[in-house]
Amino acid sequence: MDAVTLREEIERIDTLPTIPSILQKLLKVIGNPKVPLSEISDCILGDPALTSRVLKMVNSPIYGFPGRISSVTQALILLGLNVVRGMLLGVSVFEAMEKAMVGLWKHSLGCAVTARIIAKKKNLREPEEISVAALLHDIGKVVLSLKFPKEYKKARADTEQQGLFIFEAEKNHFNITHADAGAWIAQRWNFPKNLIETIKYHHKPHLSKYFPVEAATVHLSDILVRAIGFGFAGDNFVPPINPSAWEILKMNNSTIKEILKEMEESLEEAEDILVIPNE
Amino acid sequence: MNNSKTIVIITKDNTLADIINRTLSDTYSVSFFQNIQSSFDFIYNSMANLLILDINPDDTLTNNLLKGMKSDPIFCQLPVLAVVDENSAPPEWQHLPIEDYIWKSTLEKEILIKANLCILRSERVVDINPLTRLPGNVTIIKQIQQRLDNNEVFALAYTDVDHFKPFNDKYGFSRGDEILKMLGRLILNNVKEAQPHSSFVGHIGGDDFVFIMDVNLIEDTAKTIISYFDKIVPTFYDAEDKIKGYIESTDREGNKKAFPIVTLSIGIAHNKYRKFSHYGEMAEVASEMKKYAKTFKESSYTIDLRKTTDEST
Repeated sequence: MDAVTLREEIERIDTLPTIPSILQKLLKVIGNPKVPLSEISDCILGDPALTSRVLKMVNSPIYGFPGRISSVTQALILLGLNVVRGMLLGVSVFEAMEKAMVGLWKHSLGCAVTARIIAKKKNLREPEEISVAALLHDIGKVVLSLKFPKEYKKARADTEQQGLFIFEAEKNHFNITHADAGAWIAQRWNFPKNLIETIKYHHKPHLSKYFPVEAATVHLSDILVRAIGFGFAGDNFVPPINPSAWEILKMNNSTIKEILKEMEESLEEAEDILVIPNE
Repeated sequence: MNNSKTIVIITKDNTLADIINRTLSDTYSVSFFQNIQSSFDFIYNSMANLLILDINPDDTLTNNLLKGMKSDPIFCQLPVLAVVDENSAPPEWQHLPIEDYIWKSTLEKEILIKANLCILRSERVVDINPLTRLPGNVTIIKQIQQRLDNNEVFALAYTDVDHFKPFNDKYGFSRGDEILKMLGRLILNNVKEAQPHSSFVGHIGGDDFVFIMDVNLIEDTAKTIISYFDKIVPTFYDAEDKIKGYIESTDREGNKKAFPIVTLSIGIAHNKYRKFSHYGEMAEVASEMKKYAKTFKESSYTIDLRKTTDEST
């Protein structure tokens, strides 16, 4: 399949299915009028599919400011809880997703938590936005496996049999990687530029023209979360940190150690989100 | 008839769906859904022109969800055409936000005509600001005057965006409009969240918005609106200006000057301590308060605390 057809196929995806446990939790939270907005947004931020859904909606031309909002809290304020409630009722739940992809959800959540830690440590602006970018960085994997389930399964099998990284296997099968697929869908959904670029360059932050710091933060989070073994990102290896990321973020070994320490505590808390409430 | 117009049809009845599809799909782009829940994602992401709803008067969930959707000014313009079964009792119309109906038995013959008419009627201009879809001047005046005539105690707020002109000069009107649309949403959602009933939000035009609330709720809401506005508005600037914290633009005399990031000023008048009989008097006090709020550098609100109708401050 050539790139144009591939892109058209991918852009035809309307929404991503979410995993049932998070939706259950969220419906409980949002049903209670006393719950503060921050708790609702935390809950949404536990799931890449719901987060992308909310951002897609607030950036749709209907509301009149496409490509501006990359924070979930701001999206909730501008959409209004009424719209968000309505949206949640129509969310499709994909049971199989949990089996095939739960490792990826966990990996994404881990990256979101880690990116926030790095952003705060480095005093970057808008830590929530960087955290959202980290949460969504692998959305292309979901898109590819939903749209081309058989082919993607083969790619995943190749990572084991041939000892490839998942993006190498994707390249062999699709001629693109999940980073490209993710950026395409993010663009199609009018996501702000910072999100599109970060998703696109999360392996190669130095290529990002406007948001290299954000891309490097997500890249570093990705590798650290894999190294710790939190969740599953499609292959069993830990790729090396791209040297440009060290330079862009001006990292050294002692800062990394501090970050790893903070990660341990925060990731434990994050794991609670993935547990089904009544189990 | 324009092909790009979209009709959303909600029905579980396949025969009905077939008839509608056959009669409408040549003229309109049609999307079918089994229930209203699953249609929201479509409706909230792509403006539809008409909603055809196979109605069941006993289905309170659907009816409540429909009400919820129509309470949002962006979607209250979306006309709803109900398909009614003549064998069951007609629904209680006063509780349903529905614009028109059609009998099931005459569906095949009339649905196209009804759909055309519903859409045309919804496009006729009403008192709605085209930018934000909030009610305009006529409604605003009516809302204020009615409350005064009924001797209700209430608070009226006027808002204004400071340094808005240089923003428009630098980035162009379409980006300025984006800020206004954002502000409209922000005011609406916060006012309705804090006081779902008998509150009101209107858009006079430009950067002038109005909202009406209970006196004891309005100050907190004004504070919240201001804090969210300050958080969100930088995303409407280019990255380098956002970092700098100001833009360079020309002032009214044509001199190059630095202008800060836009801020929000809110002026509030209320009739708890003084009496107004005409909307104009109250509007004047609110706008006077707004001018006072504008003298502060940062986003702020000011509320009128004067007790009598005389001019001592």
